[in-house]
Amino acid sequence: MAGLTDASPEGHAGRAALLSARNLSKSFGALRVTQDLSFEVGRGEVFGVLGPNGAGKTTVFNLISGDIAADVGAVVLDGQDMTGIPAFKRAAKGIGRTYQIPRPYTQMSTFENLLVSATFAGQMRGQAAYDHCATTLDECGLGDKANRPAGSLTLLDRKRLELARAMAGKPKLLLLDEIAGGLTDGEAKDLVTLIARLRDRGVTIIWIEHVLHAIMAVADRMMVLSFGEKIAEGKPDAVMRDAEVRRVYMGIEA
Amino acid sequence: MTDPHFATVHRHTSSSRIAIGCGLLLVLAIPSMPFWASSGHIRWAVELGCFIAIAQMWNLLAGYGGMVSVGQQAFIGLGGYALFVLVTLFGVDPFLAVPLSVILPALVAAPAYMLLRRLDGPYFAIGTWVLAEVLRLITSNIGAVNAGSGMTLKAMAKYSAHQREIGLTLLVALLLLLTVGGTYLLLRSRLGLALTAMRDDAVAASSQGVNVGRMRFSVYLLAAVGTGLAGAIYFMAQLRISPTSGFDPNWSSICIFIVMVGGIGRLEGPIIGALLYFFATRLFGQYGSAYLVVLGLLTLVVAIRAPTGLWGLMTRLRPWPWFPTGYILTKG
Repeated sequence: MAGLTDASPEGHAGRAALLSARNLSKSFGALRVTQDLSFEVGRGEVFGVLGPNGAGKTTVFNLISGDIAADVGAVVLDGQDMTGIPAFKRAAKGIGRTYQIPRPYTQMSTFENLLVSATFAGQMRGQAAYDHCATTLDECGLGDKANRPAGSLTLLDRKRLELARAMAGKPKLLLLDEIAGGLTDGEAKDLVTLIARLRDRGVTIIWIEHVLHAIMAVADRMMVLSFGEKIAEGKPDAVMRDAEVRRVYMGIEA
Repeated sequence: MTDPHFATVHRHTSSSRIAIGCGLLLVLAIPSMPFWASSGHIRWAVELGCFIAIAQMWNLLAGYGGMVSVGQQAFIGLGGYALFVLVTLFGVDPFLAVPLSVILPALVAAPAYMLLRRLDGPYFAIGTWVLAEVLRLITSNIGAVNAGSGMTLKAMAKYSAHQREIGLTLLVALLLLLTVGGTYLLLRSRLGLALTAMRDDAVAASSQGVNVGRMRFSVYLLAAVGTGLAGAIYFMAQLRISPTSGFDPNWSSICIFIVMVGGIGRLEGPIIGALLYFFATRLFGQYGSAYLVVLGLLTLVVAIRAPTGLWGLMTRLRPWPWFPTGYILTKG
C-alpha cells in the first residue's frame, strides 16, 4: 500500500462520511473483481476513482447501488447499513447512478426519462417534478431535445442524459461512470463546471473517469484500483505522484 | 441557481381527444345493439370484444411487463370454468357469476407467479405453457365438471334470447372499459411511468427507484383477472366449455398474432391487430390451414421488417396517437 496518509474523509474539511464501504469483496466464479475494499467518502466531497480497464471500478458502483450484492462486506450510507436493501430502495434513499454504457428508456422522450427518476428516486410529483426535470435538462444541455425519443439521441447526448436522469432523482450520492469520454475540451470544461456546481449544492459525488484533466480539476480526493484492490488513496496530486500508481495506471516505470 | 422554470406539460393531443370520444361512443353503442342489430352481428361484437380484451392483457403482460407468456389460456379456461361451476353447481345467477369468475384466476395467478418469477425469458414462457396444460389435464379428470366432456350453461335457458343479448353486450362493454380503459388509465398514472420505463430497460428502472418485482407481480395478476373476465364472457356466449376449448393453446397464438402485428407495447396495437385478425378470419377462414399459414407468415414478416407493428407504421406516417400516455413538455 502506498504511504499516503490523507485517506480519511474527516481530513477533508472535517466532514463526516456520507458513504462507507467496508471490506467489500465480490467474485464472479474464480474471478475476484473486488477484494476486501474499504473507503469512505465525506459529505459534499468529489471522490475520483481511477484504474486500468478491468480493475473493478464499475463493480464497486454496482455494489454501492445494489445492482449486484457483495459476497462479503457492507455499504453504509448516512449511517444506515444498505446490505440486503434492493437497488430500487437505495435509489429512493439517495443513491443515484449513471451507466458507463448508457441505458436510456429508448422509446420514452428525454423529458420522460428524467420524470421516471424524479418520480421514483426523487419522490416528487406533478408540477414540482416537471419543473425540476425541465431545469435539469437545461443544465445538462438537453433542453432543446426534451420531447425527442431518447433512442434517437447521439452517444454524446445519451451520456448527457445519463447524468441528467441521475440528477433528476435528487441524489445525496451521485455515482458517475465515465461520463467525460468522447467530450471535446470545451465540453469537458462545461461538465467539470456542472459537477462543481452540484457539489456546491451539497451533492456528494463519486466519479470513475479516464479523462484525467477533467477529474483532476474537480476531485477533492481520489483512489486508484488495480485488480479489485485499492493501491492508493488521497489528494489528487499526491496520488498521481505515487510510484505504484504511475507503474500500474500510467505504465511509467519509476 | 437557475430560476424555476414553470414547465408546462401536455398529455393530450387533438387526435387523442377525438379517438377517445369515438372509442367511448362505440363502447357505449354495444349495449344498444340488441335493439337494432342482428344476432349474428351481436355475436361478432361479443367475440371481437373478448379478443381485444385478451390481447390487451397479453400486451400489458408481454409488452410492458416483459413477461412473454404462451399460457394465458390458463386464465381464459379458469374464468370460463369458474362461471360454469358457479352457475351449474352453486346455482348463482349467470350474469352475477361473471364478475365473481375473476376470483379463481386471481387465486391461481398469485402462487403461480411465485414459481414463474424464478424463470427467465424462454423458461418463463415454457413455464406458463406448462401451467396451462396442467390445468387442462386436471380439469379433464374432475368428475364434478364432467371431466373431458365439458359443461353446458343450461341456466341461461331461463332468459329469453333478447335478454341474453342485452346482458352479454353490457358485459362486453364493461369488459372493454375495464381492460382497454383501465390499462389506459394505469399507463397514464404514476405507475404507468414505471411500467413504460420497465418496458424499455428494467435494470435502469430499478436503479431509479422502480420496484420492478412488485410491478411485475401486479401486472401478472391484473392480466390474469382481465383475461379471466374475458374468458367467462366468451364462454357464456358459447354456452359450452370443455377442457380442450377452455385451455386451448390456440388462444396464445391468437394473442401473439394480434399484438405482434398490431404493435407491441402500445395500447393501440392490440385493437388494430384484433380488428385485422377478426375480419381476416371472417373473410378468409374458409381456406382453413392455408389461411393460418398466411397469418403465420404475416406475423414473421412484421416481426422482422416492422417490429413496431402496423400501429408503428401508421405512427410513422401520421403521428396521431389515440391513447397517448406520454408527457409533452412546453416551456411557459
